[in-house]
Amino acid sequence: MSLDPSDAAPTEALIPLHCRQAARPGPPELTTLLTGTPVYLVRRHADVRQVLTDPRLGRAPLYAADAPPLTPYPNLLDDPDGLLNLDGQEHQRLRRTVQRAFTPRAIARWRPWVASVVEDLVSRLSDAARPADLITAFARPLPVAVISRLMGLDTLDLKRLAYWSDHALSTSAHTPEQVREAIVDFLAFGTALVAKRRAEPGDDLVSSLVLAADEDGEVTEQQIVRLVIGLVVAGHETTMTSLGNALVYLLTDGRDAWERLAGSEEEAAAAAEQLLRSVPLGENEVLPGLLRRAKEDVEIGGVLVPAGSVVAADHFAANHDPEVYPADWQGGLFDPVGTPHLTFGAGPHHCLGAWLARMELELALHRLARRLPGLRLTVPVAEIEWRRGLLTRSPQTLPATW
Amino acid sequence: MSAGFAGPGEHGGLTVSVDRTRCAGTGLCAASAPDDLALSDGRARPLRERTDALDEVVEAAELCPMEAITVRRVATGEQLAP
Repeated sequence: MSLDPSDAAPTEALIPLHCRQAARPGPPELTTLLTGTPVYLVRRHADVRQVLTDPRLGRAPLYAADAPPLTPYPNLLDDPDGLLNLDGQEHQRLRRTVQRAFTPRAIARWRPWVASVVEDLVSRLSDAARPADLITAFARPLPVAVISRLMGLDTLDLKRLAYWSDHALSTSAHTPEQVREAIVDFLAFGTALVAKRRAEPGDDLVSSLVLAADEDGEVTEQQIVRLVIGLVVAGHETTMTSLGNALVYLLTDGRDAWERLAGSEEEAAAAAEQLLRSVPLGENEVLPGLLRRAKEDVEIGGVLVPAGSVVAADHFAANHDPEVYPADWQGGLFDPVGTPHLTFGAGPHHCLGAWLARMELELALHRLARRLPGLRLTVPVAEIEWRRGLLTRSPQTLPATW
Repeated sequence: MSAGFAGPGEHGGLTVSVDRTRCAGTGLCAASAPDDLALSDGRARPLRERTDALDEVVEAAELCPMEAITVRRVATGEQLAP
């Protein structure tokens, strides 16, 4: 894989993510990461859930002194002080500083406000010249507005935000040096923000987490700063990706569902949940799944995984495990998912923002379908331009008319 | 957080229940109320039928990312958390 973004130009059209076929789950298989590091690839729903919840497997050992190389590229997820890479008590201590803001009830209180942001964006979109780009006008500004409001970042420079998030989860899109520079700049922003909110606290999430962390006394400054910048990226990047890929499906192969999405928020919520389960956020070419490392010998799906082994939990395959879910997800788009899917993970690192992401996705799809019943893409699927060279893949632009 | 609730033991105890389908196995509850909740097979379960550890179990229920834990007063059935 090339490190020069110009070399990454597509020679053939990429398939939309809803067309990706999940690997058929079987017992854990020993394969290798791009770095040559051996990895146990786990795909069955029950096994993936075990990997993510079993305390004998952790994130911190992935970054221990004896750990093997995991990716050929640096990225924000590698930071040992990040929430994702702490285990046990240290992890719980940091997560508790923000957890209360993300429970279903806490998130539900934001619903009217998020709905008003969605309505606003749809109004502006419907007044815009056609064709308009659904990513620039809708899929990007919605999560950015939500996380900015939540964290009190109303004066945030959007160009700088785009710069950080394009680099934070980069694989081949930028050189390692460019990525490191962007992370240094992002950390400086986080450090200054934490200092400012400590000095002049407001009623935003950053102020409350700094207060909770300072009260705890054992949370380090490095951990606080990385949590803050992690929230900024996680709060919009993945939601934008998920919404963009959902729109690709709903405006192409899934277009028949558009009218029903407009019908009610409940139906839109059901469809959003099925889309979250079924449409992956990207390819698994750099990371074949959510990584963990065994702290001791552990049996997974009948296979003995020795202490020190790296394990990848392929939640995409698990979400399509025929033992658990029907084969045709598109035919059951409005059906309840049943067994909880693993898109948001499970265990200690279960996605903090899961309920916020769900709410944004269901409101976005419902209101867009209701207000623009005739929405359609103005480019064929094969000509969709994708954001490439990142850990996730989503449309760069999505020109549409109505 | 639990201000206004009756103190432990005053109403003959509390029950803690877990929706094991909903549970995502984050383990935050077991850290908040180690005498009342533990993980088994990646899901939380209550450790005893009745408890008086009001502050701990209310915190466990309020922190749960899935709202899979319910705390009730035995005598009245009143839901105390979440």
